[in-house]
This record gives sequence, structure tokens and C-alpha cells, in this order.
Amino acid sequence: MLTNSAVPGARRPAAPAPDTAQEAAAQTRVAELERRFGDPGDPANPVGTQRLLAADEAGELSRDGEHLLDDAVLTADFVPADLGGRLTRIDTLTRVLRPVFRRDVALGLGYGVTSFMAAVNVWTAGSEEQRRRLADLLLGGARVSVAYHELAHGNDFVRNGFLARPEPGGYRLHGRKEVINNAERAAAFALFARTDDAPGSRSHSVLLAERDALDPARFRTLPRYTTAGVRGCRISGLEFDDCHVPAGALVGERGQGVELALRSFQITRSALPGMALGAADTSLRTVVGFARGRQLYRRSVMEIPHARDTLSDAFLDLLICDSLSLAATRAVHLLPEETSVYAAVVKYLVPRMLTETMHDLSIVLGARFYVREGEFGIFQKHVRDLPVLSLGHAGSAACQATVIPQLARLARRSWFSGDQAPAELFEPRTALPAIPFERLTLASGRDSLSASLVAACDDPADGSPEEQAVRTLTLRMADELRRIQQDSLALSPQDRTALAAPTAFALVDRYAVLLAAAAVLGVRRAARADGTDPFLADPAWAAAALHRLARRLGQHPAELPAGCAERVHREVLRRFHEHRSYDLYDTPLAG
Amino acid sequence: MTVPTGRPATVREHTVETLSEWIANRISLYLKRPADEIASNVPLAEYGLDSVAALSLCGDIEEDFDLVLEPTVAWDYPTIDALAGYLVEELRATVGEA
Repeated sequence: MLTNSAVPGARRPAAPAPDTAQEAAAQTRVAELERRFGDPGDPANPVGTQRLLAADEAGELSRDGEHLLDDAVLTADFVPADLGGRLTRIDTLTRVLRPVFRRDVALGLGYGVTSFMAAVNVWTAGSEEQRRRLADLLLGGARVSVAYHELAHGNDFVRNGFLARPEPGGYRLHGRKEVINNAERAAAFALFARTDDAPGSRSHSVLLAERDALDPARFRTLPRYTTAGVRGCRISGLEFDDCHVPAGALVGERGQGVELALRSFQITRSALPGMALGAADTSLRTVVGFARGRQLYRRSVMEIPHARDTLSDAFLDLLICDSLSLAATRAVHLLPEETSVYAAVVKYLVPRMLTETMHDLSIVLGARFYVREGEFGIFQKHVRDLPVLSLGHAGSAACQATVIPQLARLARRSWFSGDQAPAELFEPRTALPAIPFERLTLASGRDSLSASLVAACDDPADGSPEEQAVRTLTLRMADELRRIQQDSLALSPQDRTALAAPTAFALVDRYAVLLAAAAVLGVRRAARADGTDPFLADPAWAAAALHRLARRLGQHPAELPAGCAERVHREVLRRFHEHRSYDLYDTPLAG
Repeated sequence: MTVPTGRPATVREHTVETLSEWIANRISLYLKRPADEIASNVPLAEYGLDSVAALSLCGDIEEDFDLVLEPTVAWDYPTIDALAGYLVEELRATVGEA
């Protein structure tokens, strides 16, 4: 170990140098994918919008798109760096997938995100041998299916009937898994199976079965489903008939399946919704392009106040969703004990908000929203594809049910008394420590994110009208947290079960909106302290975003200073003209 | 060192019997079902206590008995008997630390 005295002339630095290597690597990877995909608007581009729409019409994944991602070895982004892959940060994974989702949600899901969902179980609880084996498969470009779902049981997966009966030397698999992406071509399956007849939450296990090791006479792929969205995805099912797998297939310990699933979900639920921002970005961009070009009442649609406000609101929705997504994905690293709530809230709120955003945008687009080809055809595809993110793998009610049992505890122990989150939670470009898979827990009783909102009530305001607006809206949000606290304490025991009354679900909705407000404030405070992004540092967007969230909560906040809308509108246009992403990263795009 | 408080005296009052009664009453609130209909040796999941309610129950125990537990405690001790037995041990251990 070197010390100052051992190295003459060496000086101890005042603070460690900022680690910019992670940010540089993320930017390079995103830029590489943008470059490979190229201009979506170019009709000659084999992975341009026109060709991707044609693949969707044919119910196929774009072959050129899959080749492109093979060449880029996108599957390496799902493999932890210590196993030879590129996965170091969950927020970066979300960011890297955006160029794919920007163009085609089906390609993002079908090429690989479901492989990531399967793999997280193994990264979290697998043996060293399983981790290495799965890493080899993924680095070689293979798909892995996540096979949890059985149609009859939905998200009530504790009632799943798929069996893995212990037998000498391993397990015997029996039953069906339905609506499984890539089942027909995956090299391996992560299977959620009952390993004990007893009722309750210690009777299931996760198994990783490799296709080539299975007796082909004892398992088959079920017929493909046709779907309203992500038509290119190959979604089918699996049926096993007393099919043997070796004991080494078990991931983690027997009976730990429910717990492992809930821990793995914390990573996947945090990461996935933010990827969809890519598709929402394209949709907004498409409608901005339409609004600038189309003439009505002797002016462009963009000059019609309602249309202009709708586009600004859509941009704000994207910033709100990205702020929440950022906080949740970085919480996996920084606040792993608290992630169960944040992950469920992101998976609940982000797909919901984006679906509403798409609806609002469709009104501006008018009749063109129905057209399936041409300049605006991508819009209807994204409208059909996006809901899969809220259906797939945890419905919004299931996410609310994850939060419900924690509300009373948070109300008693954390709100208005806990420490605020570290500033790094809200810094998109700051380095993070490794993913602490082993520290994810099912419930914590702490909530540093809302504590940051409470702390922001004491921020000095510089007196500009926009800054005053942020302050007033922050105080109102803190009042709302007080009401959520009171209502949470008043929940009856029965309202803290999966069969809770609708009021308990509504309470989770309000809490989710409040956490989104806390994330917006956190991002803006961090950007002001950092100063390198003038737009994010500006109070205008934060005031406008908080205003939108306050209205979502049913509040009637005072009108914003005119400067807020003006600033947000200018940014919508700037990013359109300069081909920059509509999210926290302001990423240069290929078109 | 912790200054002795009144807690050990209250803790000493807890027995498997009192804890079983407390749990049965709590479960009856969750399930809207009379406490005396819930057998102490039958897994609570048989009565329809779902995994979400089991996590809520853990929070209630922590609150009323000032304990910190694994959130999955009601999964690992699935009957009233098992859970009461476990809690008595935990409460004794807490007294030992004080």
C-alpha cells in the first residue's frame, strides 16, 4: 500500500477525483447503438421506421434489427462485468436500451430484455457455476426465457401449479407455462415451480433448465400467441411431462422461490419502465414534427395553444418518469434496503403515465393516429406496444399490492423523521458502486426519497417567480405526504392484504405521484448544485412538472409564471431541431 | 451499555399463550373471521392469509413488540404455534441484550 511518506512529493488529494469512466462508457455505448441504427426516417435504412413497421405488419421481429444487436452483442449488457459482461449499473442498462426501444419495443423485448429478467434470478441467487454458465450463454448471444407465468393464476403466482417434484438426482418438471417470450428458441428457461405441496410462500423454487439437456420427448413448445402489440415477439408457452432436470438446476435454495422472485423483481421493475421512454420519445418527436408542418386555420398546429401545451406536457411527463426511473434504478445501488417500494412504484406509475401521454398526443395527431404506414405510422405502433410494459411481469395492481403492506410502517417509522437520500441518487452521470444483489430485501420501513422532498421545503428560494413556484408546490406536496401518512395509519388490517379496499389502492397511487415529485425535486436540486445542465438546473421545468403532478393529485395550484411554459416549449423545439433525446440525458440522436 | 428500562418487566409477561392469543386476534382482523375458528397448528395460508398480509403481519408484530424481524417471518413460521414459539425466543433474546 502506498502512503504519502513512501512517495516523495506525492500529495493527498482533497477529494477523490470524480470517476468519469462509467459515464464515458455509457455515452460511448449509447452513441454506438444510435450510430448502428442510423436515421429512422431514411427509407433506405434496413432498420429505419419503414422497415420496422413492415416487420411488425408481418408479425416478425426485424431480422436486420436482430443482426445489428447480435453484432453489438447487446446480450453482454445483461451480464455483470465480473462475469465478462458490461452490466455495472441499472440506470445505465435502462439508458442503453433506450435507442432500441426508441425504434421498436418488440425488438427491445424480443431480442433481450426478457433474457435479462430471467438472468437476474441467477445473478441474485445462483451458484458460481450457474452464474458462469449463464454468462457464457448470454455472451454467446443466446436467449433465455423467463417462465413464471400461468394464465390461470396471473400475478398470484404463489398459487402456481407448475411442479418440480424432487426425485433422486434432481427434479421432475410437470405442467405448463404460458405467454412466455422466446420459448421456442431460448437456450435456457428460468422456471418458477412448486417444489412442496404445503400452502404458503416457502413452497416454490426457481430452476434454470437448459434446453439441450432436456429429454425432447418430455417437453414441447406450445403454439404461438398472436398479440395486439409487440406483434414481432415470439410469445408462446412450454409444456413439460415428467421431464427430469438435474439437482444443479435449482437456483438458490429450495423453497426460496417467492423471496427470490420478489428480490429479482426489484431490479427488473426498476429498470424496464424507463426503457420505454425511448418509445415515448419517438412518439413525442413524431407529433412535434406533425405540429410544425401541418397548417390549420392559417397557422401551424404548433401555434394552437392547446396543441403546444399538450406537447410541453408530454415532455414534462417524460422528464417526470425519467426522474422517478433514475431514482429507483440508482436506489438499487445506493439504497438497496428501500428498493422494494421504489421499484413497485416505478412499475406502477411510469407505464400508466406514458399510456396517458400517448393518448393526449394522439389527439394532436388527429386522424393520422390511425394510419399504419408512412411518416406517422410509428405512432400507432408505439401506442399498441407500450401497454405490454404495464402488463408484462407485474400488473399495476400487483405493484400496488407490494406497497400496501408497507404504508403503515413507513407512516409510523419514516415519513417526516428519516434522513434524506444522498445527492448521488439524483445525479444521472455520477459513478455508482457495484450492484449489491445480496442486500435487496422485501421490506424496509425507510423512505429516503420522500425525506428529500421534506428536506427541500427548507431550500432557500432566490426570489425569481419560477423559484417561488417550486417552493410553493414543494410545500403543498409535503402537505400531501402528511395526508398520506394519516390515511396510511388509518388503514384497517384487512386493507393491508391483497384483498384491500379500493381506497388502499388509491392511497398507493397518491404516494406514487408524491415520490415522482420527490424525484423531480431531487434531480433539479442536484442539477442546480452541479451546474453543467442549464435546462435541468432551471426551476422552470421543475415548477411545471410539480404543477402537473399537483393537478394529478386533484389539487388546484395557482397558475404558473408565464416563463415556465415558455422555457419548456423552447426546450421541446430545441431538442427537436438538434435531434436530442427528450429525457434527462439530452442525448444526441441519429435522427 | 443500555440503561435498564421498564421493558424487561413487560417482556416477561409474554408467553406462548399470550402471544398466540395476540396473533389469533390479529389474524381474525386480517381475515374477518372469529379468532376461535383459527386453529393454532394449521398453516395460516390455509385460511387465506396471502403473502402480502403475511408481510403486513410482520410489521404489526414489530410495532407492538418493538422487535426488528425478517419481513418473511410469517412465511418461515407458518402457524400460530410456530410463530408464537419463535417470538417468545426473540423477545427473550432482546431482554438478554438489554
